[in-house]
Amino acid sequence: MLDCHDLTFHYRRCDPGETPDFCFTFALPPGECLAVEGPSGSGKSTLLALLAGFLEPGGGRLTWRGRDLLGLPPWERGITTVFQDHNLFDHLPVWINVGLGLAPDMKLSREQQARIREGLAEVGLAGLHDRLPGELSGGQRQRVALLRALLRGSPLLLLDEPFTGLDEATRQGLWALVRRQKAAGVAVLLVSHDRDDIEALADRRCRLDSGRLV
Amino acid sequence: MAERRGPVTPVSRWATLSRWPLGWGLAAFTAVVGLGLGSLGALLWQARGLHPAMLWEEPWLAAVLRFTLWQASLSTLLSIGLAVPVALALARRPRFPGRHLLLRAMELSLVIPSLIALFGLVAVHGRRGWAAPLRDWLGALPEDYLYGLSGIVLAHVFYNLPLAARLMLQALEEAPAAQWRLAGQLGLTRVALWRALEWPRLAPLVPRLAALVFTLCFTSFAIVMTLGGGPNSSTLEVALYQAMKFDHDLALAALLALTQLTICLSLWLLALSRGGTPRLAVSGRPGRPPGRWWRRDAGGLSRFTDSLWLAGLAALLLPPLVAVLVAGIVGLPELPQGASLAPAALRSLVMALGAGLGALALAVALLAGSQWLRASRRPFEALVMEGGGQLILVIPALVLGTGLFLLLRPRLGSGWEGYALVVLVNAFMALPFAMQVVRGALPGLSAPEQRLADQFGVRGRARVRWLIWPRLRRPLALALAYAMTLSLGDFSVIALFGSPSAPTLPMLLFQQLGGYRWQGAAATAMLLLALVALVFALLDRLTRRPPRHAWTFLPPRERRDARLS
Repeated sequence: MLDCHDLTFHYRRCDPGETPDFCFTFALPPGECLAVEGPSGSGKSTLLALLAGFLEPGGGRLTWRGRDLLGLPPWERGITTVFQDHNLFDHLPVWINVGLGLAPDMKLSREQQARIREGLAEVGLAGLHDRLPGELSGGQRQRVALLRALLRGSPLLLLDEPFTGLDEATRQGLWALVRRQKAAGVAVLLVSHDRDDIEALADRRCRLDSGRLV
Repeated sequence: MAERRGPVTPVSRWATLSRWPLGWGLAAFTAVVGLGLGSLGALLWQARGLHPAMLWEEPWLAAVLRFTLWQASLSTLLSIGLAVPVALALARRPRFPGRHLLLRAMELSLVIPSLIALFGLVAVHGRRGWAAPLRDWLGALPEDYLYGLSGIVLAHVFYNLPLAARLMLQALEEAPAAQWRLAGQLGLTRVALWRALEWPRLAPLVPRLAALVFTLCFTSFAIVMTLGGGPNSSTLEVALYQAMKFDHDLALAALLALTQLTICLSLWLLALSRGGTPRLAVSGRPGRPPGRWWRRDAGGLSRFTDSLWLAGLAALLLPPLVAVLVAGIVGLPELPQGASLAPAALRSLVMALGAGLGALALAVALLAGSQWLRASRRPFEALVMEGGGQLILVIPALVLGTGLFLLLRPRLGSGWEGYALVVLVNAFMALPFAMQVVRGALPGLSAPEQRLADQFGVRGRARVRWLIWPRLRRPLALALAYAMTLSLGDFSVIALFGSPSAPTLPMLLFQQLGGYRWQGAAATAMLLLALVALVFALLDRLTRRPPRHAWTFLPPRERRDARLS
């Protein structure tokens, strides 16, 4: 269970006792998808950045199965985020982009290489392993990012509007991938504006209002 | 709710800042600024008993100063003034037969050693050059227009107009394609396009570009030595050389050097106080034309005027370059007979490699240190560190060489020590250019990339290997090639500290030109040009993106099949 309790964040230094800009409290059990809605600027990306370890919270508690995550750097948190864009390194071919998720030093075992090959075939990218991201369509790029997230096997998946701007068929393919992960026990936090995405994936939904989850 | 002031993903809080870059940066900064200011200090110390009033009281010195200012101003005005319509014409016409060739010729003229360019200019514009029949037919030009003010300005324009036009074109091509599309859709007229798109792109560039061109023309040595040199067409740089080399008048040399420095520095301060921070180096990547969208200003009269500007540019650039190639091919049989050629070429290459690597190491150290300071939120210190490398731009080579000579005089003997000094000065002189090329690539990872790298734990050596080095290797190679080329073509510093009996290729070329040994000079020029081309080709090949099959992770058998196919 991901337990987030009074996780606060200020964009500027604030005095003790002052109400923080953001304060998040929620719980997310394994295998469940929680959707977070909210207008632009409401703090959706801030929430994800705090969970993933890209921002330092002002206070609060964040644990996964009782293990404190706040003192850990992003790569040790067991969390993978898929963003709306900029998910890939533009100068590296597809398979290295995926491979970096499995082995940060790119010393891939034969088994890992085989998993990448099979994964690419599974998401319909067979034969595109040595393409650069600039040579792929938006949907293909997102499939690469999602495949990497899935192959990493993190127990927590954060999705920051990853389906925005994709056509219906591509979105349905990506939804199926996420559903498979949920079935395998991965907890998913989905941030989206799109009702279709939320209805297709979310088990619960909440709304961000004035920096608080309601 | 509070308003967000920065991006959601600032510089990673997990990125531990190693202090190595700062250490290297400080070491390089101390070396560059210390030697730069030290050489200036030595000059000041030497100039103690001098009266600056000499500059206007001594008629010949006043004439030299007037001529230096006049030729540099005229060359700058013509180079920048003519570069604007040329760059606009090239931007307006993204596709025409010969455009690629013209751009390559412009880039070649940026790196070609000045003595080679002079050789080509003499072959075309000399008394019996290719242009002689046209000149006689026109009857408006004197026979010796290549010598004196007109020749010096022509040579400076030959060198600097392509530089200015190429940088302006780069600035225009860097405008987002959407802006050009929008302009096409709105049907903006020529004037409207100029005001809305073209001038805003050029305006930040012009002050610094003008300062750069003025400094290059003001401190130009080989061109003035060859095409001027008489009492009526001598510059401060040449007078400085003569004071050092022939009159051994160090006090006069110091006064001239300080005068030169004061003028260049004032101009740079003026230029730096205006405009943004434009890139003053031509990108290694081929420029991307704005696109094929319809431009309202591309038809009508501009068809004719653009053709005129581009034909003029081709007439200025191509004949001297072709003349060097033709004369070089004719002079090829001379190559085996030139006993001094091989040692001179080897000497040049070794010195260029030393200077190039030195410039590159200093550039990377300064930029890495400055980036470290910026990441530690010390922007002012970062600016000072980066500015240290650019300081050399306003200290002319001979000033630096003279100052260092004065500093090291008790110890500086002859022979290899003089050559080591040349390598050092050349490395310093190439530093600002190397920094300009590397600067764009060194910041490395963008905020989203850093976020990804942190997420996957790509750190340390793996981060350098996979994320930083692939972006750096091409700019580093280009910077090394530029620095080596500058050193390969150097004639000013080597003329002061080199030995005529052990010449480098430019020295040998100058000796041959002075002795009217045209065949030998042609062969030497050709060899020098070939070395420049070799340096660029070799570095380009060594740092090209790996072929795709080297990156694939297919099983060996499939990989072999893919390679065969």
